[in-house]
Amino acid sequence: MKKTLYYLMIIALMIIFFFPVVWIFLTSLKTTGEIYAWPPTFIPENPVIDNYRTVFLESNLGLYIGNTLIIAVFSTFLVILLASLAGYGIARIQFKGASIFLVFFLAMSMFPQLSVAPSLFLWLRQIKLINKFLGLILVYTGLFTPIAVWILSTYFKTIPMDVEESAKIDGCSSLRILFQILIPLALPGMAAAALIVAIFVWNEFLLSLIILSKDTLRTATVGIALYPGEYAFPWELITTATFLAVLPLVFVLFFFQKNIIGGLTAGAVKS
Amino acid sequence: MNEIARRKMFGLFLVLPAFLFVFLVLFLPAANTIIKSFTEFSPMNLQQNDFVGLKNYQKIFGNEEFMDSFFNTLHFAGVSVFFELILGLVLALILNKALAFRGVIRTAILFPWVLPTALNAIIWRWLFNTDFGFFNSFMKSFGLISRNINWLGEVSLAMNSMIWVAVWKTSSFIALILLTGLQSINDELYEAASIDGASGFQKIKSITLPLLIPSILLALLFRSMDALRSFELPFALTQGGPGGATQTLSLFGYRQFFQFLKFDQGAAVSVVQFLFILVLGLIYIRVLKGERDT
Repeated sequence: MKKTLYYLMIIALMIIFFFPVVWIFLTSLKTTGEIYAWPPTFIPENPVIDNYRTVFLESNLGLYIGNTLIIAVFSTFLVILLASLAGYGIARIQFKGASIFLVFFLAMSMFPQLSVAPSLFLWLRQIKLINKFLGLILVYTGLFTPIAVWILSTYFKTIPMDVEESAKIDGCSSLRILFQILIPLALPGMAAAALIVAIFVWNEFLLSLIILSKDTLRTATVGIALYPGEYAFPWELITTATFLAVLPLVFVLFFFQKNIIGGLTAGAVKS
Repeated sequence: MNEIARRKMFGLFLVLPAFLFVFLVLFLPAANTIIKSFTEFSPMNLQQNDFVGLKNYQKIFGNEEFMDSFFNTLHFAGVSVFFELILGLVLALILNKALAFRGVIRTAILFPWVLPTALNAIIWRWLFNTDFGFFNSFMKSFGLISRNINWLGEVSLAMNSMIWVAVWKTSSFIALILLTGLQSINDELYEAASIDGASGFQKIKSITLPLLIPSILLALLFRSMDALRSFELPFALTQGGPGGATQTLSLFGYRQFFQFLKFDQGAAVSVVQFLFILVLGLIYIRVLKGERDT
């Protein structure tokens, strides 16, 4: 009895959490006539895929998703590169000021985007990086490095010190120890940090909005959020585009939830 | 140089690239914003740069729209974080007992968190749609409302609707933080309490909650900081409307900067917001340090 109640509760939770996206998915399969009818139907009466065709042919959604992928790949790569080196340095080499760096990174990760956005905009305009992917990639690299350093330094601490010491006895140089022994051991942590950074890139809004303001350069989140403002842009297309932009995240989450949770708890809770 | 000193130099050398990037992209721009808030400055005239003291602050505090968004932000952050914490706690207590379907359950609770805030806002805008939205039809079929309601368009309702959207998205993340805290509580404590004849509720009250306080505090600070800088939620859900009812500090500041090009006053707005977050951030670092020392 208690068990049944418990499972019912879990099912109720799942419905509450997944329902909004299921609803936009169902909407995306409806015909225009069915969408603008009252009361709304649950299951589409004549499911159609026209909305998917239209959203790719008549809006820039394909471009937006491509733009986001390019920016996510490059900025995630740069962040993980910088943060692995820094995380290793902070966690395993007891140099003076290591903990000050860690506090610096923590403090920077709390900065409200609004306080950096205007200056960044003016400076990027001066060096002609507004409406350039490179501009946003560099900004994201700085923006998300702090949280990645935090996650990775926690991860590096969990690798036993003996590994490194025995390598040292064998006469390996510091750089070789880092790249040949520690980085391979830290790969799961790096993957978790990379996933989290990529999700953050997919999420980020304000800086993307101001740095890539040209329509064809927009990222998916910004581009779709601006659809309802464009004249008479219909809801069947907005819901379709939103569903398509959310889909990759569902896959990432489904396959990697364990890594993501591990990384998150390392970054946010443990210290 | 001896070997230890060389190794320490190597450590510093590894941290420097990350430090430089973060310094250039976050620290310098923020410092520049703070300086500009004390000057008269416009992006149209980069040469003009006169120190004017607190004039920009006087101007924004004399601006009714600013004061409204100031209180909106506090209202939004206070109420949404309160409900998120309560729901998060309930969720965490339920999930802590979950033995089967762990993967699916994890995916479910993480899902609202990975959903981009702006897209979540768009989804809810459709669910809340007055004429064709699911929300109205749902409420009507249970007889809770008799006519279709404009959830996002009425001054008295828009803020609550926005809070609801935030609570839906973030409670599960709080649950996740609390869950880690719950799992670190030693089971023997509960067993001992059971032997002494404690009820389930008593156990929650005198074991779970006191031991969970550090995690609760962390979740609280984490989310408050986030809620205080809320930007894309009102931007994509209501554009701050109706009549400024859901305009937050971030949205107001953004408009000063990029719509009205009042760079100096926008800078003052973001410094005010920054101070709020700074205070919370300092408490946060304190708590983390306390955690580490014990």
